Amino acid sequence: MSHSHPSESQIQEYALDKSNCTTEDIVHIESCAECSADVKTYLLLFTKIVEQPTPVFEFDLSTLVVSQLEHANPRLSADHFVAGFLVIFSSCSIGIPLFIFRNNILYMFNDVPPFFIYSILGSTSVIVIAKILLMFKKYQNQIRLLNFK
Amino acid sequence: MHHITEYHLTDKVLIDRVLCGETRAFGVIIKNTEKLVAQIVFKMIPVSEDRKDIAQDVFLKAFHNLPGFKFQCKLSTWIAQIAYNTCLSWIEKKKPFLYGTTTDDEFYFEPENGAYHRASNENESENRVSEKELSGILRREIDLLPSVYQTLIILYHHEFLSYEVLSRITGLPAGTVKSYLFRARKMLKEKLLSKYKKEAL
Repeated sequence: MSHSHPSESQIQEYALDKSNCTTEDIVHIESCAECSADVKTYLLLFTKIVEQPTPVFEFDLSTLVVSQLEHANPRLSADHFVAGFLVIFSSCSIGIPLFIFRNNILYMFNDVPPFFIYSILGSTSVIVIAKILLMFKKYQNQIRLLNFK
Repeated sequence: MHHITEYHLTDKVLIDRVLCGETRAFGVIIKNTEKLVAQIVFKMIPVSEDRKDIAQDVFLKAFHNLPGFKFQCKLSTWIAQIAYNTCLSWIEKKKPFLYGTTTDDEFYFEPENGAYHRASNENESENRVSEKELSGILRREIDLLPSVYQTLIILYHHEFLSYEVLSRITGLPAGTVKSYLFRARKMLKEKLLSKYKKEAL
């Protein structure tokens, strides 16, 4: 039997499904009173969570919603069509010139000053990085909101 | 004799019927999934008056976006995802109100009557805990967890959804879901042990 106690996550894993634990951890937990007590507490916790009453809406949700759908038909909204059109339009406006001028693309940049190319690449990188940071900030805000208690 | 009810029809058949204009079939979808939606809505929305509107909103959104459902997951998972995101938007809108009312640890939420109650300060550790008492305490402790932990704990241990399904519903990576569940279980265990001695449990 190992002298150090398994970590809390290994104890949880044992309580959830001991087949995911190493033999060493299983031997330790089964012969250690402290770890066994922790496992028992977790098992009790899981049993009691299962026994928690299922919340039920106090109104007939099905009737309530279906009554609002009597004259409605599910169909793709205008937004879907607009988005689809924009995707096709953008793909065509990039793809068609690329296909037509495929042999001349490399020569296109010959006469462009390097400073101009670097400034385009630089500003694009700044915009992309700013967008990524904004997305990350939004994600963090959402997580903070969920932890409001 | 086999008695096959509408509730056992597959997602595909039900969706086809709804798309053909049979709105009654959508009622069956609601009946099949409202328990899962209720779990999410009750855990994320502490204001009972708003739950009715949110529940309706979830299914109306599901109905209107049904043609876009690509069968990449079960219909119930997709509807649960809509429910989770709808609740998230609600929390975002009501943030100032929520911060002002539910951050107090002295209060717990009673789902039966949809009200907050002041938690008892009595030291209960000396008494042997009855089964009913323990369930009540656990319910209170779950309601005091952050809403994402509450939702994950209930969906994993009560509805038996997998990490992958939870990841899809919440949009969180599976690793994050596992880590949140680990923390939530640990918090619940510690809360119980802080109230009661191990022998009392």
